[in-house]
Amino acid sequence: MTNYIIALFLGLGFGFALNKAGLTKYHKVANQFRFTDMTVLKFMMTALVVAMSGLYIFRGLGWITFPTVPATYIVGNLVGGLIFGVGMALTGY
Amino acid sequence: MNRIKSFISQENWSPYVAGILLGIVGLLAVLLSNTLLGASGAFESFVGWIGKKVAPSLFSNLYWGVEGGRAMPIMRPEITWSVILLVGVLLGGTLGALSSRTFKFRFNDDAQWKRIFGPQPWKRWVIGFLGAIVLEFAAGIAGGCTSGLAISGGMLLVPAAFLFIGGMFASGIVTALIVYGRRY
Repeated sequence: MTNYIIALFLGLGFGFALNKAGLTKYHKVANQFRFTDMTVLKFMMTALVVAMSGLYIFRGLGWITFPTVPATYIVGNLVGGLIFGVGMALTGY
Repeated sequence: MNRIKSFISQENWSPYVAGILLGIVGLLAVLLSNTLLGASGAFESFVGWIGKKVAPSLFSNLYWGVEGGRAMPIMRPEITWSVILLVGVLLGGTLGALSSRTFKFRFNDDAQWKRIFGPQPWKRWVIGFLGAIVLEFAAGIAGGCTSGLAISGGMLLVPAAFLFIGGMFASGIVTALIVYGRRY
């Protein structure tokens, strides 16, 4: 149960961040692929760097162990990414 | 205090600030629940959960698991942690819009969309629906979406995440080129 409450609050933060970055709007996402608006990359990469540094520091301190990592299977990830990009550029989701 | 208030009520934050917030959320997910953030899987789990109740035989397959089968399902057909997370995302997005007083029911009011595809709301709905099917299908193949694979995998430095981002941009650029044509 506690876990679900945590999920709800983390979701709140997630949605809030997306909204404030403007990524709930079609043109923000679509223009990333035209390179006239770099919001998606700035947002994604900032989140990546913050979370990455934190995770490796916390693991170094022995506070966490990494959860199961997403599996790497080259063809699947790549083909999935290729189809995903079509949908993303079309809808702006 | 007033400065904090006025900051929160801004419609758009710098993407760096919003990114830091998402990074902290991703970090807390691992710290508190030992889970990675993800959005696309939640839809699949939720649909599986409903499907198992409505049409058990149709939904008894490798993807959502076979009743009494030994193999682990690829997607657990239950209300998972991610489904709750997704509920939070919807509420959080609403809260964000409310905080900047831009909350409004919109059917099709993105100026750029209208210029490219036309002003009719049904076009937005049809393309949105079909595009979302493409997104979910692709996320199923790749094993995650922008949040579940690209960001969550990326922060663990998983190669899959960077393959996915590469593929996403390659085809995204081509799609945008086709859609926008000379206006690219």
